[in-house]
Amino acid sequence: MKGSVYTLGYAAVLGAVCAFLLTAAASFTAPYREANAEAEEALNILLALKVPLPAEISSKQVVKMRDENVQGKKRGDITTYVYSGAEANGKVLAVAIRFSGPGLWGPIKGFLALEPDMRTIRGITFYEQEETPGLGGEIAALWFREQFAGKSIVDADGKSGIIISSRGEPAPNKVDAITGATMTCDKVQAMLNEVIKSIVKEKQ
Amino acid sequence: MADNKQLACMTCVPKGLCQGKGLVTLKEGAWANNPLAIQMLGICSALAVTNRLENSLVMGAALIFVCVGSNLIVSLLRKYTPHRIRMIAEVAIIATFVILFDQFLKAFYWDMSKQLGPYVGLIITNCIVMGRAEAFALQNPPMLSIVDGLANGIGYAVVLAIIGFFRELLGSGEIFGRTVLSADWYTPNQIMILAPGAFFALGIVIGIFNAIKGPEPEEKK
Repeated sequence: MKGSVYTLGYAAVLGAVCAFLLTAAASFTAPYREANAEAEEALNILLALKVPLPAEISSKQVVKMRDENVQGKKRGDITTYVYSGAEANGKVLAVAIRFSGPGLWGPIKGFLALEPDMRTIRGITFYEQEETPGLGGEIAALWFREQFAGKSIVDADGKSGIIISSRGEPAPNKVDAITGATMTCDKVQAMLNEVIKSIVKEKQ
Repeated sequence: MADNKQLACMTCVPKGLCQGKGLVTLKEGAWANNPLAIQMLGICSALAVTNRLENSLVMGAALIFVCVGSNLIVSLLRKYTPHRIRMIAEVAIIATFVILFDQFLKAFYWDMSKQLGPYVGLIITNCIVMGRAEAFALQNPPMLSIVDGLANGIGYAVVLAIIGFFRELLGSGEIFGRTVLSADWYTPNQIMILAPGAFFALGIVIGIFNAIKGPEPEEKK
């Protein structure tokens, strides 16, 4: 009995010490991690909107560029990020909308950017995802994301929605899925359709 | 290897803890019983993160840090740890060190953290760390355990660096992201960046290691 009490006590103390250390480290690094996360998000807005970026750019510059080029505007239920560069005289060059949803292993978050016509996709980025590296993780790869550019969020019959699938005929609103990552692709398709639905609703 | 020997003596000679054991431990961990090339542990991460030399070095540094830290703590606590829960205690200690390193990367080397992705966190399950804690630190004094952790960490890091060097060189013609083999006359061999290239490189490194070391003496029964 005495042994059990000691074992329990040992486990409790060890656990408490480890927890304390990790909490201390987490709160110490929190401001740095938050700054990194903000820069990551800013970079992904800029990339989705295809704002021309210099080859080498620091995280502070990224945040500054976003603040200069992109304005967040609330339209009904959705927040849009409007890109109108200084040289465009206030003309809207593109609009990005944030989307998010559950992935296979963790939350997926990203930006969908549309051309000013609000139908054609300009770009897409994922700034947070924990999908399987090499399979679902490929959603963040350039080849997958580049497929979306120029696609429409509306099919030939005027029905809204995007299809991510390896089957069927090519269509203006269809991109190829990733082999071996059906779950991730289905989930991404669902969250994109969710945000597309809200865009269409807002347009009406 | 000469540097390693220097390090071992600096760690233990002034404190008089060596007694000839420090050097033996170091040689054993880094060379004769190299965790990757001889014991075949930690293969997963060695295949996954070695597509660039920089990634390999950071991963090696992470493992050295975790291995030294966890060996030290496990060794310090070895007389107080109840035998029944020693493994879960080891995992808790290892996990703490791994998360500390992960947080550090996330805060100060964000790009590197993104590239290594989940593999830093997966050091928790790396057999090398757990193996050294269980096989060495539980039976040996703290200083010697540090040397053992260092030795195995170095053994792992060196193999990773070799693989990373050749994969980056042949796969993208670069070293540390700088072009070494000009694209004019060298076509980067994509396969070295991809998973099969990792297997080829690791296999060749293991083969060379064993060829130099010579065959394992047969155990007498």
